[in-house]
Amino acid sequence: MRYVVGGYVFILVVLFLYAVQLVWRRRRLARAVSQVAQVAQVAAAAPPVPLRATAGRSIDAVPIAEDPT
Amino acid sequence: MTDDRSASTGTLPHPQASVAPNTGVTLAPVQTSRARVTEYTIGTLALVGTVATVWLGVWVTPPDKVQGDLVRLVYIHPGVAWVALYLAFGLAAVSSLLYLWPRTRSLFWDRLAAASVEVGVVFNICTLVSGSIWGKPTWGVWWVWDARLTLTAVLLIMFLGYMALRRVPAEPEVRARRSAFVALFAAVDVPLVHFSVNWWNTLHQGATVLNANLSPQIHGSMAWTLLLGFVALTLLFVWMLLVRYRIGVLEDWLADNELDLALAERQSEGAGLDDKSPSDQGGAA
Repeated sequence: MRYVVGGYVFILVVLFLYAVQLVWRRRRLARAVSQVAQVAQVAAAAPPVPLRATAGRSIDAVPIAEDPT
Repeated sequence: MTDDRSASTGTLPHPQASVAPNTGVTLAPVQTSRARVTEYTIGTLALVGTVATVWLGVWVTPPDKVQGDLVRLVYIHPGVAWVALYLAFGLAAVSSLLYLWPRTRSLFWDRLAAASVEVGVVFNICTLVSGSIWGKPTWGVWWVWDARLTLTAVLLIMFLGYMALRRVPAEPEVRARRSAFVALFAAVDVPLVHFSVNWWNTLHQGATVLNANLSPQIHGSMAWTLLLGFVALTLLFVWMLLVRYRIGVLEDWLADNELDLALAERQSEGAGLDDKSPSDQGGAA
C-alpha cells in the first residue's frame, strides 16, 4: 500500500504545486501589466516632446536649451 | 498584433487600462468576467473530480484479484498519461500545424501550443514517475528500457527541448515558426508510444479500455473510478491550459510595451526639464 500512497502523493503534490505556481505567476504578471498601464497613462498626460537630434554626438553633449527642434 | 490577440483570447481591452496614443503603449489585456467565471467553474469541477477519484480509488474500490492494492494506481496513472500524451501534446501538434498553415496563421496558435506543452510536460513527468512507482513492486525494478517507457521518456526530452527553444531570444514570428516545426517533429513520437505495445514485445501491458477490440477489460466500480479519473484530469488540464495561456498573453503584452513605455517616460521627463528655466537647471545659461 505504501507504493500506492507514494504514487498518489507524488502526482497530487506535483500538480498542486504547479497549479499554485501558475496562479502566482499570473497574479504577478497582471499586477505588472496594470502598473505599466498606469505609468503609461501618466506619461500620456504629459505634452509630447520630439526627441532631440544628436547629429552624431553623445546625447549628453546636446544641451536641452539648444535643442534645434 | 494586439488586435489578433485580444480577439482570440477572451480578453478585451479594459476602459481603465486604455492608454493615450502618444505613448505607443497598446491596450492592456484584461480578462472578461465571462472568461473568469468559466475558469472558476472548470477549476472547481476539476478539484471536486480529483478529490472524488482519490477517495474512490484509495478507499472505496476493492483490491484486484491479481494486482491487489496496486491496482489503485491504475485509476490515476492512465488518466495522467492520457492528458500528457494525447491531449497536451496532441493539441500542441494541431496548434503548431494551424500556425504553420498560412490561412490560419496567428500567434494565438503559437501561444496555445506553448501553454499546452508546458502543462503536458508536467503531466508527462507524473506519468513516468507514477508508472515507475507501480513498476517497482510489480516488475521488481524502477525502470526497464521497454519500448513504451523509453519512447515516453524520449517524448519528455523532446518537449523539454521545445521549451528551451522558446527561451532563445527571437522575434515572435521566428520563435513561433521554429517552435511549431519542433512540436510537429516531437509529436510524431505520440503514435509510436500508443502503438508500441502492439508493435513490439513489451513489458508494459496493452490498452485496457481503448484496445483493438474496443472491449474494456475493467468493470463495475473500478471502471467508473477510472472513467472519473480521466474526466477530472481532463478538466484539470483545461483549467491549467487557460491559466497558462493567459500568462502567455500577459508576458507578450509586457514584452511589446515595455520599450514604448520607457520611451514615453523619457519623453515626459524631457518635457519636465524643458518647462524649467535655465537658472533652474544650474544657471548654466
